[in-house]
Parts: sequence; structure tokens; C-alpha cells
Amino acid sequence: MSDDGFLRVADVSKWYGDEQVLHDVSFEMDRGDVTVLIGPSGSGKSTMLRCVNRLAEAQEGSILLDGEEVLSPDLDVNDLRREVGMVFQGFNLFAHLTAVGNVALGPRRVLGLSEAAARERAEAQLERVGLGDQFDSYPAELSGGQQQRVGIARALAMEPKLLLFDEPTSALDPELIGEVLEVMHGLVDEGMTMLVVTHEMSFAREVADEIVFLDDGRVVERGPPDQLFERPERERTGRFLERIASHD
Amino acid sequence: MAGATRPATVRERVADSDRSVGRLLLVAAGALFWGWLVVSWVNRWLGGVLVPVGDPLVPPGAVEATLAAIPGIAAYAADAAFVVELSPEIARGTWLTVVITAASLVVGFFIAVPLAVTRVYGRFSAWVSLAYTELLRGTPLLAQLFVLHYGLNLGSYVPDTLSGVFARNVVWVAIVGFTLNGAAYQAEYIRGAIESVEEGQITAGRAIGLSKLETIYYVVLPQGLRYAIPSWTNEFVYLIKYSSLAAFITVPELYYRADQIASETFRYTLIFIVTGVTYLALVLTASKLMERVESRVSIPGLGVDRER
Repeated sequence: MSDDGFLRVADVSKWYGDEQVLHDVSFEMDRGDVTVLIGPSGSGKSTMLRCVNRLAEAQEGSILLDGEEVLSPDLDVNDLRREVGMVFQGFNLFAHLTAVGNVALGPRRVLGLSEAAARERAEAQLERVGLGDQFDSYPAELSGGQQQRVGIARALAMEPKLLLFDEPTSALDPELIGEVLEVMHGLVDEGMTMLVVTHEMSFAREVADEIVFLDDGRVVERGPPDQLFERPERERTGRFLERIASHD
Repeated sequence: MAGATRPATVRERVADSDRSVGRLLLVAAGALFWGWLVVSWVNRWLGGVLVPVGDPLVPPGAVEATLAAIPGIAAYAADAAFVVELSPEIARGTWLTVVITAASLVVGFFIAVPLAVTRVYGRFSAWVSLAYTELLRGTPLLAQLFVLHYGLNLGSYVPDTLSGVFARNVVWVAIVGFTLNGAAYQAEYIRGAIESVEEGQITAGRAIGLSKLETIYYVVLPQGLRYAIPSWTNEFVYLIKYSSLAAFITVPELYYRADQIASETFRYTLIFIVTGVTYLALVLTASKLMERVESRVSIPGLGVDRER
């Protein structure tokens, strides 16, 4: 690892009203790294993820992306978001647009590509996620796995320097999870920088450079997967991993 | 539902043919109605190329003679001839009804969309929009027309370029009145529809870097406006009928013409039946048209879980 500090999350805290949901969360990742956030539901993983592209607003701390302060009030969030892609648990595909339409919207309207260029880029990204035969299908005509792959293509089409995955397989039927993970594996191999919230422990173990275990809005423990899975330092981490394992 | 196909029962086949006969009759009636209207209008615009302006398209005398020869309906021959005789006036009034409705609906739509959007997504503007909607929906339409016409004398402010379009400027006053009022109602329908667009759609739009306004334009409205079509059609239908209130500020539209003829001839029942049927034909056309629009713009899976 080159330790270029591509993403530096430092002491991030967030409150919803009186309730503090993130307590001084800190972690770093380098370009090309895969960091997986794990933890029980309600532990603040998704909220942390959303703070990175400002879909959620952190009230304290610092998030440096490529040296720029994400939390700065002067930052144009739309500029930030064109560089940080996001894949959602519920896919959130634009229901009125075809697969190509979904993927092309960002390049066309945010990046300002021509209609033809945006379509070409969308088709290329759909090919990349194995949906070369579904260009003109509407979301409702696709399976969950296919929808999520469109979701990934949509994020990729913006040529992001960081991809955020918010439980990308949690809403999928078990038999459809594999195709999505396969696409994500491919991205890892291509060197994409990815911050992933997931319950897929075998995936985390296989591809993560670092695992961050969050509980109750706090980083309980972080480290390389081998260390975290084999020799967790904290009792809570061990308990959580055992509980997850017994479900698999 | 069983997936296997089975032969249609006799009853179903009868029902099917009933439906197609019914549809054929409806289409034929529609063609007759609109054919009569359009030919009447064109005849008037071109200064009476087919029949002298003000004359019916077919001579009432001939209609009466023909019908009188048919046993069973001979008793109605005179009434039919009378209806034919007043048909040019009905066609003339219907023209203004159609124009006022169409113009108010279309212009009102472009006011209604921003009203609905600000109502849902605005802060201060949401209150302005709410106040507008409640004021216009909460006061009688007739009172609004009276304020515009008798109170503000809006007709005298019509710019010269527009002033020649209709025989009388009061038509513009009616269009303004129905536009402002209809916009409030349309905004309510559209607001309800865009509120039902899933939150995740907006999140996804923002996440690829679209601004809030861009997300509304490219993501929320294309879905919300589709959802709005069925309820929006109500406003279309209401407006056709409410446009008759223009008669009270002396706009010579359908109702006004009917009332005039009735008070001259005292044949109220017959005239208002004919007028009612004319409104009905306009309303049916509007709902059929919107059905067509709805199926034309429908998208697989969009809104299916909302329908029942």
C-alpha cells in the first residue's frame, strides 16, 4: 500500500436531533483500496457512507478526499458527487427510464455529453456489468440482480474516483447476490477505490484491504480482514462476527 | 389467475362483440359530432363557402320532411328540424367553449407545475403556493370572474395584438379567470402525484450530481406527471363544464348561446337537452383523449402498484 491518504475520515460525528449517531469516526484509505464497513444494523455504517458524498451531513470532523475537505460549506456538493459514485441497497433506478436511460442521465445532464456520446458511454458500461442485452429494458422488467448491476453501471458512467456501496446485495434474493458480487469483484480487480457497507462477510474477507467495524456509531476496531476475522482484539467484534457467521 | 387459455364462452363472445359494437357506435357518434363542428366552424371562417353563414349544414325543412315519412318518429320531426335550425348557433358557442377550455387548461398547466413543485419542495415559496391554491379553490369561481370582469375591468387592458383574436375582449377575461382558477386545482392534483414519487428516486438523482431542480425536472416530474394523468383528467372534464360560467360575464360560449335561444323561443327543455348532449360529447372526447395519452406515455412497471 502506498499510503497516499486518498480518503481521510477524521473524528466525524453526526447527530440526528439529540441522538448522536456517529462518534468521532476515523479511518483512511488509499487509491485503489477496498474498505468494508461492517457492524450491526443501526450502527451508523450507512450514515457514515452517506457523509462521504454529503447525502448526510456530518456536524463535526473532517473528510478529506484527494486533499479536499468534503465537509467544507463552500464545497459544491454536485461537483463532489460527480466524482463519488453511489450504489444503493434498494437500487433506486429511475423508474421511468430504460437501462440505457438510467446510465446515460448523469453523463448527459451532469457531465454535459452529447446525446449520442452519453448513450455510447451508457452502453459500454452496461456491457461492462454484463447487461449488453438489456439496453432498452425498464427497471420493472429486470430482475433484482440485473437492476443492481444497472445501478453499478450508472455510478461507473460518471467515471468516479471513489465508489460507495450501501448494502448492495441486502435487498436481493440469495440466488441473485452472486451476479452482483461478481461485478464488484471485477471492479476490485480493475483497481477501483471502493468503500463498501455490506453483510457479505466472505466478500469482505476476500477483497477488503481494511475492515472497519462500527457499533453504536463508534469505530470499535479496524484492520486487515485476516486480523479482524481471525484475531479480533475486541470482544464485541468477535461476538458480532460469530453472530453473522451463524447466519451464513 | 390461471395461465392456461381456454376457449371463450358464448357469453364472453357476446360480451366482446357488444363491446366492439358499442365502441363502433361511440366512434361513429364522435366522428359525426366533430365532423359537424369542424365543418360548421370552417364554413364560418371562410365566409360561408358551403352554406351561408348562420344557416345549418342541412336544410331543416328537408330533415323534417324525411323524418315525417318514417313511421314511429314522425312525431319528433318538427323538434328535429328545430334542433337542426339552431345547430349553427350551438356550433358557434361550442367553438368558444373549446377554445376557452383548451387555452385555460394548457396555460394553467404551466402555472400549476411550478405551484405544485414549490408546494412540495419549497420553503417560503411553499406558503405562497399554498396561499394561492387555497384562495383560488376556496372562493367561488363565479365571484373570481366577476372581480376580473366587473371589478377590475380586465377586458380594457387586453393588448392590441390580442384584442382582434376574438370578437370580444371579454373572452380573454374568461381565459385568464379559468387559467388562474384551474391552475390551483391542477396544482393540487400534480402535487399529490409528485409527492408519491419515491424518495429514493430523488436520492439517486442527487447522488449522480444533479441539482435539486434538475432532479425534479429529469426524475420527479416525468414520473409524477404520469401518475397525475387520471386525476388531472378530472380537472379537464370539470373545466369543460365550468367554462359555462363565462356566460355570466357575457362570453357568447355554448351555454350563453343556448340560454339566448331558449329565452327567445321558450323551448328550454329541448335546447338544454341538446346543450347537455354537446357538453357530454366534449367531456367524452376529453376522457377518451386522456385515456389515449395515458396509454401512449405509459412505462412498464411505473405506477402499476398504485393502480389498485
